[in-house]
Amino acid sequence: MKKSWIPVFLLWLLFTVLGLLLVMNTTVLPAQYSEEAEVIDEAYELLEALAVPVMALIFAIMVWGAISWRSRGADREDGPPQRTSKAVVGVWLVVTISLAVGVLINPGFVGLAAVRGEPVSDYVVQLEGSQFFWEVTYPNGESALDELVVPVHKRVRYDVHSTDVLHSFWVPAFRTKIDAVPGLTTQVYITATHTGGMEDDVNLRIQCAELCGAGHAQMAMPVRVVEEAEWLAYIEGLGSDG
Amino acid sequence: MKYVFRASVLAFIGYVVGIWLTVAIRGGSPTDEVAVVFGFILALIGWLGGIGGIEAFGRQWMGKKPKTSPEKGWTRYFEFSIDHKVIGIQYGVTFISVLLIGGIGAMLMRIELASAGQGILDLDDFNKVVSMHGILMVAVAVAGILGAFGNYIIPIQVGAADMAFPRLNALAFWLVPPVAIGLLGAPFLGSFNAGWTAYAPLSVTNDSGQILFNLAIITFGLSSILGGINVLVTVITMRAPGMTWGRLPIFTWAGVAASLLSFCVTQFFAAALILVTMDRVAGTAFFGPDVGTGLLYEHIFWFYSHPAVYIMVLPGFGVILELVPTFARKPLFAYKAAVIGMLTIVGLSVVVWAHHMFTSGMADFLHGPFMILTEAISIPTGLVFLSIIGTLWMGRLWFRTPLLLAFGWLFNFLIGGITGIFLADVATDIHLHDTYYVVAHFHYTIVGGSIFGLLAAAFYWFPKITGRMYNERLGQIFAVWVTVMFNFTFIPLFWVGINGMNRRVGDYPEAFEGANRFASISALILGASFLLFVGNLVYSAIKGPKAGPNPWNSRTLEWQISSPPPQHNFTSQPRIVGHPYDYGVEGSRYVVFDEPGSSVSDAPEEVHA
Amino acid sequence: MTTDIAPDPAVEESHDDHGEYHQDMTFQPRANRIGLWMFIFSECFLFAAFLSARYYSTGTFRPEELNQLLALILTMVLLVSSISAYLAEVSIKYNHRRNFKLFTIVTILLGFVFLAGVVVELTEAIHHYPPGTPYGTSYFMLIGLHAFHVVSGIGALFIVLFLGFRGHFGSSDYWGVEGVVKYWHFVDLAWVIIYPTLYLF
Ligand code: HEA
Ligand code: HEA
Ligand code: CUA
Ligand SMILES: [Cu+2]
Repeated sequence: MKKSWIPVFLLWLLFTVLGLLLVMNTTVLPAQYSEEAEVIDEAYELLEALAVPVMALIFAIMVWGAISWRSRGADREDGPPQRTSKAVVGVWLVVTISLAVGVLINPGFVGLAAVRGEPVSDYVVQLEGSQFFWEVTYPNGESALDELVVPVHKRVRYDVHSTDVLHSFWVPAFRTKIDAVPGLTTQVYITATHTGGMEDDVNLRIQCAELCGAGHAQMAMPVRVVEEAEWLAYIEGLGSDG
Repeated sequence: MKYVFRASVLAFIGYVVGIWLTVAIRGGSPTDEVAVVFGFILALIGWLGGIGGIEAFGRQWMGKKPKTSPEKGWTRYFEFSIDHKVIGIQYGVTFISVLLIGGIGAMLMRIELASAGQGILDLDDFNKVVSMHGILMVAVAVAGILGAFGNYIIPIQVGAADMAFPRLNALAFWLVPPVAIGLLGAPFLGSFNAGWTAYAPLSVTNDSGQILFNLAIITFGLSSILGGINVLVTVITMRAPGMTWGRLPIFTWAGVAASLLSFCVTQFFAAALILVTMDRVAGTAFFGPDVGTGLLYEHIFWFYSHPAVYIMVLPGFGVILELVPTFARKPLFAYKAAVIGMLTIVGLSVVVWAHHMFTSGMADFLHGPFMILTEAISIPTGLVFLSIIGTLWMGRLWFRTPLLLAFGWLFNFLIGGITGIFLADVATDIHLHDTYYVVAHFHYTIVGGSIFGLLAAAFYWFPKITGRMYNERLGQIFAVWVTVMFNFTFIPLFWVGINGMNRRVGDYPEAFEGANRFASISALILGASFLLFVGNLVYSAIKGPKAGPNPWNSRTLEWQISSPPPQHNFTSQPRIVGHPYDYGVEGSRYVVFDEPGSSVSDAPEEVHA
Repeated sequence: MTTDIAPDPAVEESHDDHGEYHQDMTFQPRANRIGLWMFIFSECFLFAAFLSARYYSTGTFRPEELNQLLALILTMVLLVSSISAYLAEVSIKYNHRRNFKLFTIVTILLGFVFLAGVVVELTEAIHHYPPGTPYGTSYFMLIGLHAFHVVSGIGALFIVLFLGFRGHFGSSDYWGVEGVVKYWHFVDLAWVIIYPTLYLF
């Protein structure tokens, strides 16, 4: 009766260690270009680390079961007639509840507060989604349809709206996303941390992330992160062109 | 066949009359949406009347005795049969067919996505295929197990001769073909491209095919509600003597849990679609661009559609919990905890809907509570897991196809559930929402949890339903094949999702091509496995060796009668005297038949551990 | 709708020609009742969805032009019809066939009066707050949904009345009447929630 605990435990240890090694040594996340990205990636990695032992337990039981508990079928005999065990159910409940509570506290609420941050900003940029393009309006009232230029290290608030159907403002390299809803203005704060453009990373693009019709896939727009001075010059320059 | 023919003719006439009347009264063209709405409604009435509603209900309303179709002969599968076993098979065959059609859509999508740039489908057509695939598959997942096995097995498992409302049961089934026809006919009106979620305002402004989507899904909702009520009332009122709630087979419990959800919340999907339909045809303005109600649709929709995912998976839990004790030859571990877990899921699932809306712009203060409630659901789900692994623990595992599929289920649903936690976390969901990560998550839960349950159920109950045995070797090959290729298809999609590929796009940046191509090739191999599945079952149903009443040596009631079961299920009154899953418990009996000798087989022999 | 859930002679019939085993049919009345309650419960959710749409999109806003008097009268009509429906049910329970028919007719007539009132209501409404306006949208949907239920209720009452004239139902077999009347009460109750939602709050 007892003999399965030991191999399953060893397998669980093995899988956990292997899994943690795997998780720690591979990066599945794309390049980070914002402070919010750092928060979100940290949350993601923490969740990965917590998921490993849970999954390892179930896999360990499955693997050991397949190896050692199989029966031929010809001489079908019954297993131990154990209906339940209060102790096991109790321990399981305690462990899962504490896991869930743990996940809720961190990354849950810790992450939520960190991503949201303080509602203060250095600049406000308006973004308007329409089928199937984005229009950016900078603080000086100039607007652009070809790219979004962002000052590095500055906290920018984006006021997002839509003129027709739902769209969603998503820059994968910044990790943040907020829907553009007709009749509402939604807001998101982003602080970019590195300069760069779409030629450095495909994820420096606005990608519409809410199905909006035929052109949804192509409702994208390059994002360029530049120094603040360059950015100010750029938005001034927009006026003189038009 | 005669009735299907009559129903088709009446439906056609109804459609034409509806359209003609509308055009005659208000003018306009016959493809106007108002005309289509009236056409559809009259066609539906014509169809239901023609298929047997006139005899089964109309006659009674006229004060005559109702008539339903005969009980023998293969043609009853095409008639308004009130035998729950016939209806179960009707559902089963219908939904497997829909699964295959939806699967062909999946294959088209994967072929298109095998390379960046546009291939066989243009962007809009791609969205239409996604939407069609999504809604067909959701229909299969919502009603597949419950429709087919819920109908066939639950009445027998509780010791009843039929459902509580047999005619209503038939009605609920015959509502389904119009749904399929409506959805598959939508391309004639320009199809629908708003995804299975049909978010407004896109669904208010897109092509007219959307109107057929709305009507079909409202009809489908009606069918689920009627089906849910029927299952519940059957279990509440028709249990055999001695069948206390604590002795109810776990699959029946799962059916009860899923039915509880489906008969309460399905209304909300219908309501959301009625609002959209009215915006389209009656000039109301719930979701216009200038109305500040952008999130109204999402709230109503998810109030149904989140619980719907548990309507999909609870029967899957039921199937796996049901067959694991049989193949592990052990009592179901912590039966009570599993039941409480499922009922807790039912309760919690109606208060978590806004986790689909973390980036929708809803009020900030809602994020925290919905995150708490969503993660709370993992605890009762964990109890179901505990019950399964506790049953496997030190069992005598008999690796037949159903158990192999149960292992596949365990593996897949675990991945699906755990990735659900990543989505439930607001911080990570802000990035992951509407990416392929979500796509991978829900294929792991729906396919892994519901479709694998359906497949396992198909193999497990196949000998009972057909009286014949499927080919075990081919079944095992299928089980391994489908599990492995399913994982090869969807694991890469987690990666592309995290790395910035959003869903519902027919084109993507080149950086994601490698992983997508790998997924596409795996998906084609995965699709091919279904040929083996269908081939095996169809061939065995006709030519397979006789299975005998109880090939798995199971204890529940359906295995104590002949295969296939007799006309009225039992030839003598069953009485329940013990617990259903006491495999190996010394001297335990589950059922006795009141007239000894007349039962086909007695309770299984007790083998001592 | 409700007559669907009536006892099912077809099943009993089919059991009769096989001598071996009978499902005990005593469950059926209970099943009918539970089934009907579930159906009504489930309908409540439909109304709940529409009501929440109203509060979500327009809060408790309400225009000046509402015809309060008409609405009040309609509410009274519907409430009285609930009483007559109840009397019809009680009559058949005690085998007063004449009263049963009479009260059913009264209920149907009151239902028609209500519908006529709804038509007046809507023709007025279309000038002041047409369906395209925020309030009008909720108004037309809720009234429309409710009117649809009234119509189906009247249809069911007609069937009951017709069967009554053909000599069906009696003190031991009045499930059909009971079911329809319960459904009618539900339709009234729905109005009792819709009325304040649209006119009072
Ligand atoms: C059968 C279907 C099914 C099931 C069962 C689930 C189960 C869960 N789902 Fe999923 N989900 C979908 C189908 C399903 N989902 C679909 C279709 C969508 C997308 C819809 C669309 O947009 O098109 C979706 C989307 C979706 C989202 C929105 C993503 C987004 O669009 O941004 C979220 C967010 O919270 C979520 C979370 C969860 C969670 C927490 C569970 C939990 O119930 C999982 C619980 C299970 C476990 C956790 C594993 C077992 C437990 C243990 C081993 C115990 C120990 C573990 C812990 C204590 C953590 N799902
Ligand atoms: C039950 C639910 C279910 C099932 C089983 C599946 C099965 C599959 N799904 Fe799907 N899927 C959804 C539910 C489901 N899906 C939903 C709800 C969506 C969201 C839609 C939306 O966004 O609105 C979605 C979206 C979706 C996408 C995302 C599209 C996008 O967002 O751009 C993708 C992409 O890879 C995909 C792929 C697949 C694949 C490869 C399978 C494979 O498992 C399929 C396996 C193959 C078959 C089952 C059939 C094979 C048949 C044949 C080869 C022909 C044989 C013919 C005869 C014998 C006659 N699905
Ligand atoms: Cu805009 Cu998708
Ligand atoms: Cu959900």
